[in-house]
Amino acid sequence: MSADTPKYLLRKLLLRSSGASRLWAAWLSLCVGTILLLLSLMIWWNFRELLQGKSNEDSLGSSFITISKTVTDDNMGNPKATLFTTTDIAELQTQKQVQEVGALVSNHFPVIASTKGSLGFSTEMFLEAVPDHFIDKRPGEWNWKEGDTQVPIILSTEFLNLYNYGFALSQGLPQLSQTSIKTITFNLTVGEGDVKDTYTGHVTGFSDRITSVLVPESFIQYANIKYGHHATSEASQLILKVKDPSDKEFVDYLQSHKYSTNAEQLRWSKMRAIVDVISGTTGLLALLLMGIGTIVFILFIELTMANAQQSIVLLLQIGYSPRYISTFMLGKFVPLLLSAILIAVGVAISAQIALSIWAQPMMLRISMLLGWPIWLVVIFSAGLLMLQVKKAVVNALKKV
Amino acid sequence: MQLILQQLMPVPMRDSVLSVKSGIWRQTLSFSKGDQVFVEAPSGTGKTTLIHMLYALRTDYEGELLWDKREVKSIDAERLSELRAKHISVIFQDMRLFPELTAWENLEIKRTLCNTVNAEQVGKWLHKLGIGHKKDALASTLSYGEQQRISIIRALLQPFDWLLMDEPFSHLDKENIKKSIALISEVVQENKAGLILADLDENHYFNYTKTIML
Repeated sequence: MSADTPKYLLRKLLLRSSGASRLWAAWLSLCVGTILLLLSLMIWWNFRELLQGKSNEDSLGSSFITISKTVTDDNMGNPKATLFTTTDIAELQTQKQVQEVGALVSNHFPVIASTKGSLGFSTEMFLEAVPDHFIDKRPGEWNWKEGDTQVPIILSTEFLNLYNYGFALSQGLPQLSQTSIKTITFNLTVGEGDVKDTYTGHVTGFSDRITSVLVPESFIQYANIKYGHHATSEASQLILKVKDPSDKEFVDYLQSHKYSTNAEQLRWSKMRAIVDVISGTTGLLALLLMGIGTIVFILFIELTMANAQQSIVLLLQIGYSPRYISTFMLGKFVPLLLSAILIAVGVAISAQIALSIWAQPMMLRISMLLGWPIWLVVIFSAGLLMLQVKKAVVNALKKV
Repeated sequence: MQLILQQLMPVPMRDSVLSVKSGIWRQTLSFSKGDQVFVEAPSGTGKTTLIHMLYALRTDYEGELLWDKREVKSIDAERLSELRAKHISVIFQDMRLFPELTAWENLEIKRTLCNTVNAEQVGKWLHKLGIGHKKDALASTLSYGEQQRISIIRALLQPFDWLLMDEPFSHLDKENIKKSIALISEVVQENKAGLILADLDENHYFNYTKTIML
């Protein structure tokens, strides 16, 4: 088929439908819809990123909370009173918001960490263990089996911060980076009297989610039996995977049982819930607008082709192929669709840059680049729109 | 391209076809490239129906109609358009021009589809048929005779093995018929093509190799 066919002749024959205002209304609706959709996604994504920044790369942030029983004047003499019983755990699991409960089991034997050399120290300490899947950033070498002399440790980022900004500064000790700590090994002496062994401990990772010193669960279970004062494996703290930690009913439940948790985490969660609702509503509105825009657009195409039906029939009769005609029609409508999407992307990119600049003085780090979910939605919606338009053109041609 | 008709019978004309003897309907016929066929067809015998079937515009028939051994009904739309652009051309009885385009544009839209004839040549043909001065007039404003001549030129703006004609000179005077025949013969010869002309009365427009009563 020749590419020389004067396009103006085909335009004259096929695109004479009046009602350009309808086309531009559909275009505007599509454009505004796409802008709104991208902006709502952008807000949702940025807040999510920001929250992750708040909790220092905790990938699931506020969905995980650690709870413990509040130590009061009444129970402070009885350590067992602050442990979680199986009944407590079972009751927690029945809560609507709670998806999973993991026990933080602590050591029931003495532990002393020590090193020699210029940074030499010796300190009594505690260890805890939690089911592996609750750990936010599990290092590759996170395992221990009987006979191993090396014990991997995950340290809370908060502890490192306390040391670097509190202890080290006040004592004139050197501040330590995460990587430098990972290179240090130290002796871990566990047990007492005749039942005492020394292991080599080394920090393999840091956790933002759990404020503790974590060792593999297999080590605590083994060591509690071998070196422990008593064989209890009751949890001192629990880590919960919750749908919405800011849910009022859930917060009331925690308070009524005198369970304490990180209040800051709840406050951010509440804000995230609000942002989710706002961006979700805007997103829905945007989808509605885009849907209407698409329908009007497709109706316009169908109307145009119905108006040009006689010409299309004659073009086919004198040797024009259906593919040639549909390619011509798509060539007219696809750039319009693409322009609506490109404008929306342009607005989103500008808004992201503006947001990033605006947030800088408030010490909030927001990327200048659009997040991948926004690009994914752009590609998906562009593809879907093209597909719908192509389908409309091909179907209209079949009807001729 | 060979045209074969095997027991062809238009479904809507079943009763009338069954009641009379026809040289085409319900016969087995084969036309080879180069044949010049005249189909003499009194009114109502299905002349236009035949041309439309041969051009694959209508498929409401029983029997078989083959283009190069391929049943026309089985040819898909893309291939059909290619065959219409390169192998089989038609002059419709009702001209079928785009009324919103000028005479020249009606020819350009066909010429540029195949690019086998240049614009200068088309200009010469227009003058040859005495309608050069009408090239910029809208087709809808042309007389039937002028439209018919545009329609004849349009059919010649492509390569073809067969030229189908349905009362191609019905609106022309003798002088214009003569000019049109000369032009058609010249282009048919260049293409080494065959032609099938359907008309009401006997004529000697071309050197027919076959004459069939419909």
